[in-house]
Amino acid sequence: MIGFGLLAAAGVAIPIATRDSYHLDVATAILMNLVLTLSLRFEMSTGQLNMAHVSFMGVGAYASALLVMRAGWPFWAALGAAPLLAALVALPVGRIALRVSGPYYFLITFAFLEVMRLLFNNFFPDYLGGPSGLVQIPPPSPLPLPGGAVTFTGKLPQYWLMYGLFVLTTAMLIRLEHSRVGLVAGAIRQGDLLAETLGVNVLRYQLGAFMLGSFFAGLAGVFFAHSHQVLHSSDFALEPMVLLVVFTVIGGTQSVWGPVIGTVALSIASEFLRELHHYEVLVYGLVLMVVMLAVPEGLVSLPGRLAEALARRRRAKAVSMGAGLAP
Amino acid sequence: MSTQLLIQSAMNGFGLAVVYILVALGLTLIFSILGIINFAHGEFYMLGGFATYYAFGVFGLHYVLALLLAVLAVGGAGVLAERLVFRRLRGKTLNGFIVSLGLLWVLQASAQLGFGVLDKAVPSAVGGVLRVGSVVISSERLLVIVSGVVLIAALYVFLTFTRAGRAMRAVAQDADAAALQGVNIEAVSALGFGVGCGLAGAAGALLAPIFAVSPTMGALPVVKAFIIIIVGGMGSLPGAVIGGLLLGAVEGIGTLFMSSAAVSMLGFLVVIAVLLVRPRGLFGVA
Repeated sequence: MIGFGLLAAAGVAIPIATRDSYHLDVATAILMNLVLTLSLRFEMSTGQLNMAHVSFMGVGAYASALLVMRAGWPFWAALGAAPLLAALVALPVGRIALRVSGPYYFLITFAFLEVMRLLFNNFFPDYLGGPSGLVQIPPPSPLPLPGGAVTFTGKLPQYWLMYGLFVLTTAMLIRLEHSRVGLVAGAIRQGDLLAETLGVNVLRYQLGAFMLGSFFAGLAGVFFAHSHQVLHSSDFALEPMVLLVVFTVIGGTQSVWGPVIGTVALSIASEFLRELHHYEVLVYGLVLMVVMLAVPEGLVSLPGRLAEALARRRRAKAVSMGAGLAP
Repeated sequence: MSTQLLIQSAMNGFGLAVVYILVALGLTLIFSILGIINFAHGEFYMLGGFATYYAFGVFGLHYVLALLLAVLAVGGAGVLAERLVFRRLRGKTLNGFIVSLGLLWVLQASAQLGFGVLDKAVPSAVGGVLRVGSVVISSERLLVIVSGVVLIAALYVFLTFTRAGRAMRAVAQDADAAALQGVNIEAVSALGFGVGCGLAGAAGALLAPIFAVSPTMGALPVVKAFIIIIVGGMGSLPGAVIGGLLLGAVEGIGTLFMSSAAVSMLGFLVVIAVLLVRPRGLFGVA
């Protein structure tokens, strides 16, 4: 709870500290990626790595864009409906994919990612925009509030919109983590057979996590569609997906704070690495390899490991001193 | 549609399928021994292409010699990668995935810095065509098919009849039991990773004279190899061969009637159809 408060406060502090449009862009992108990585980690907390997470972001994005552009829905209605649609699409996909686990689940969802990318790229070009992408998506429409309408054009209002979605997502996912659901998810991750024998319906939990994760991915997709105003199939391809997995695993999947640390640290690091030009990708790859080999449980496990090492040293010292005092 | 055209396009499709099967075999071999999904596998394919470009295209060695050299060099690079990095990640699929991704970026960026970003053309290995009745097949394609089939047969002989090959299969079945029987797991892992990467290098060397070589050439074959493995079953060598032939046939025949986008989609529909019936692929085991 304290951590969540600090995180929310940091989000408020950013636009107070800087109004620079580049900084706001980076901060907004980090918040959107946090919604994606936190929901991906939520799915992973039941022991499954979903390689099609960005595809559900894509479903939300294209659905929202089409609802607003073709069906004439107001943005705020699409914001509610499109993530639900992503969750609905996740239902049959999850039923099929969750029959297997581990590397097989990884590969099935990877196949689904490619199917959806091909669909976005090549099929229904009149609706989805085809290889050149879907363009001219309108920005979020003004929100009519009692005190006057709030508009969402420009970087700062869009940052606040994303911040609102982020707080909503994080609050829900942290709440779930500390509820019965979080405990059951942990039990499934550590041994799904054992959980099953204790009366847990493993498939139902995994399917529920898959649908909820896809809902939040769809939510991020809606924001992405209306803030970028252009959608392309490559936005929902292997590369962005791989980045989400990298953020999540480098941060650590054991705690909610893993993806937060991973997403923020790597996003900021890659902004600095950009200075290296040709060597950017090389250094980024090396950093990944070194971090993963040195801290296999992710950056979030680092303080615990340091504390443990310190305690061990202190104990060793105490023992050696004690030995010296013995008669 | 004439039979002649049908046979010709089938041969072209078969040639590509054989090459992708080589990539898939290496990928699935590495997975079965180390439990690692090597995302950098396409980069070893790329290294094979560049080895051929330099040995055959620049220094003018005989093509067969260049091919063997490429296999050895890339296989050696694979052994090195296993010893330096992947041996620490045995059985850790998720960590192995992230590290192989890091390796992918490192190798690709190094190739761009070292070889340049532009496509490099490799001269044809053999010229001319072969005529069987009215069917015309380019000798180049035939060379790819023959070399690919020879390599697959060699892998089969190696795994079935040699001591090292049998040790490899033993480790794939049960590493602990193999260790108890005196199999040196460390040596087998290194050799397995090397053989797997060597196969990818061979694939790159075979296609180098047909397509140009470039630092990003590994992206397409690795995705194809993944799809082959999904169909055939992760960790199964016969699965990789059958899966590759099945997808090659579907895409080869599809190309005659449909657009390339529709063909890719058709390939995935086959994947989904197989997964609906057999979630772990045709030859996959739990």
